[in-house]
Amino acid sequence: MTNTPDNAPKSAILSPQDAEARVRASMATRRNRETRFRMWGIAAIALSMCFLVTLFGTIMSKGIPGFFQYYVTLDVTLDRERLDPAGDLSDQSLFDGDARGLVRDALFSTLQVSGRSNRKAAGKLISLGSDERLRDYVRTHPEQLDSEQSLKFALDDDVDSFLRGFISRDTPESDRRINDKAIGFIDQLQEAGLISYEISDYLFFGSASRNAEMAGIKGAFIGSILTLAVCLSLAFPIGIASALYLEEFAPKNRLTEIIEININNLAAVPSVVFGILGLAIFINIFGLPRSIPLIGGMVLALMTLPTIIISSRAAIRAVPPSIRDGALGIGASKMQTTFHHVLPLALPGMLTGTIIGMAQALGETAPLLMIGMVAFIVDIPGSITDPGTVLPVQIFMWADFAERMFIQKTSSAIMVLLAFLVVMNSFAVWLRKKLERRW
Amino acid sequence: MSHNKAQIRGAASVDNFNGIEPPMDTVGNIRVNNARIMCNNVFVHYSDKRAIDNLSLDIEAQKVTAFIGPSGCGKSTFLRCLNRMNDTIATCSVTGEILLDNQDIYAPEIDVVPLRARIGMVFQKANPFPKSIFDNVAYGPKIHGLAESKSHLENQVEEALRRAGLWEEVKDRLDQPGTGLSGGQQQRLCIARTIAVSPEIILMDEPCSALDPIATAKIEELIEELSEKYTIVIVTHSMQQAARVSHRTAYFHLGRLIEVGATKELFTSPHHKLTENYITGRFG
Repeated sequence: MTNTPDNAPKSAILSPQDAEARVRASMATRRNRETRFRMWGIAAIALSMCFLVTLFGTIMSKGIPGFFQYYVTLDVTLDRERLDPAGDLSDQSLFDGDARGLVRDALFSTLQVSGRSNRKAAGKLISLGSDERLRDYVRTHPEQLDSEQSLKFALDDDVDSFLRGFISRDTPESDRRINDKAIGFIDQLQEAGLISYEISDYLFFGSASRNAEMAGIKGAFIGSILTLAVCLSLAFPIGIASALYLEEFAPKNRLTEIIEININNLAAVPSVVFGILGLAIFINIFGLPRSIPLIGGMVLALMTLPTIIISSRAAIRAVPPSIRDGALGIGASKMQTTFHHVLPLALPGMLTGTIIGMAQALGETAPLLMIGMVAFIVDIPGSITDPGTVLPVQIFMWADFAERMFIQKTSSAIMVLLAFLVVMNSFAVWLRKKLERRW
Repeated sequence: MSHNKAQIRGAASVDNFNGIEPPMDTVGNIRVNNARIMCNNVFVHYSDKRAIDNLSLDIEAQKVTAFIGPSGCGKSTFLRCLNRMNDTIATCSVTGEILLDNQDIYAPEIDVVPLRARIGMVFQKANPFPKSIFDNVAYGPKIHGLAESKSHLENQVEEALRRAGLWEEVKDRLDQPGTGLSGGQQQRLCIARTIAVSPEIILMDEPCSALDPIATAKIEELIEELSEKYTIVIVTHSMQQAARVSHRTAYFHLGRLIEVGATKELFTSPHHKLTENYITGRFG
């Protein structure tokens, strides 16, 4: 305004001086806005980091003790006659033998107990799995029969919880899961230095069990691997073939448009619906057995297919058209162009989608409940047609049990699941880096 | 990218017509004695938009033909018709005849794969494959089964690189990625890749538009050498380039072929007003 004479026609464009003044005036507001936005961003990240730390803290603090449990060392006399009555070391003969009696005798002599009620209380200290453990030992060390050996046996889960301090001595005896006599015996064993706190072999090599001290994740872990193997071997080739066909070969018309919309919609369908679909089709119509990793894998493949197809299509679209032109321009056929040039360039992106899909499948519980993979299965699945369960379902089941020790085992299993995910993802990231090429 | 470009160009219109009507027929002689490709009444449409309007032209054998004209005039579109690269654009339709050896290349019985092996193409943006220099050149012979043995293939690669004037620069690093070369080298690599398939005709779509003057000069030199063996069609934005490398020049305007003639003649005494305006720089 200062430079414009009053009688001159007013210009819509401000003079440079006026414009500068206005810009200066607006700077404070603009800067404040930017600072505020940054603060919001930092706050959001701090909050999510807080949650993450809490989550990992809780899981680790509960889960790491779950990797360990209390064992007692006993001197067991491996009496051949009592252990192996038939003398052929067959499963039947060992089963007919009195392994349980031998373990109990060793315990009783260590504690020097006598009397029926004392023996009853002492017998409850060690895990019910101890006789099976002794039989296993004899199977692998038959030469040690008729000698005395120091062997470790797991303590019962109530004793374990007591030793961890979850059960207090001050609680009235009638309210405790463990009575005064048993506590006396535990003290006796501890004074003798026979109780040890070690890495739990049951957790890693055991299968599902109603006894917390014997429960392990091996069955569920193998089940998860088998299920994922089925899922990957179905979803990856089908997903990539669909994506390649839809992007490179299919004519762009109504039909392909409808297919595309439906694939996008399928990605948003709740996973439990895929479980119902699997139940209806694979089990009811095709009559396949329930609870098997084969069906689990097929259901999860249905669930992950849309994810893989969508990300693969995006990866294919990101391949520069000039590469296709170059190949077509020297007479490569459509198929050669696709497989020699487009696919190798799109593969890293496709793998990313597949990782996301597989990670989703690994953590999925709901659809597997529908097809019966929630059953209590003690045997470790040997093939994709053996009944089994998977890690997240195992976690789900353990979280439901009342015993103290299952709480730790649940957290431990979650840690194993997370570790499985991390290993899987880092392998895929490594693979992607290896395949990635620049152009 | 190039698809979109072709589409946009075809659809674009140049409003600067300077009030001059384009001729119904092309000025100059569209026919030549030793034609390699004969085009008769070619129309190209993108959906409903006409990109090439009733174009007839001969491409002379063992000569360099240049297509010039303002952006959106259809020269790239027409070039891509000659080896059916427009097939990749779903909305593009081509009518009329494009005869190679008296055979319409758009006839239903024609397979585009052997056709494109005979009519190679070099693009505006150098597009080497993300593979080694050797593999870039060897790819064509490999997919067409042109080499009898590994040493034969190696010889083919060497000769193609020699003809493209790149051998001396890359002979020690054939196993390195083709994408690591400079822009001009990449473009010559693409030319070598095309030559390795033993085409008769090479189409070049503004091959120097992304290159510096020195790299451009090398490519132009190369085009001159190649014209002894190959029939070359080049689309260019640079009139100087057309004047330097081509024997015959065709001037396109808004999808029409306005004028065609020997390069010297066309640049010194254009017959049509539109051509004259363009080459004297009055619009374009």
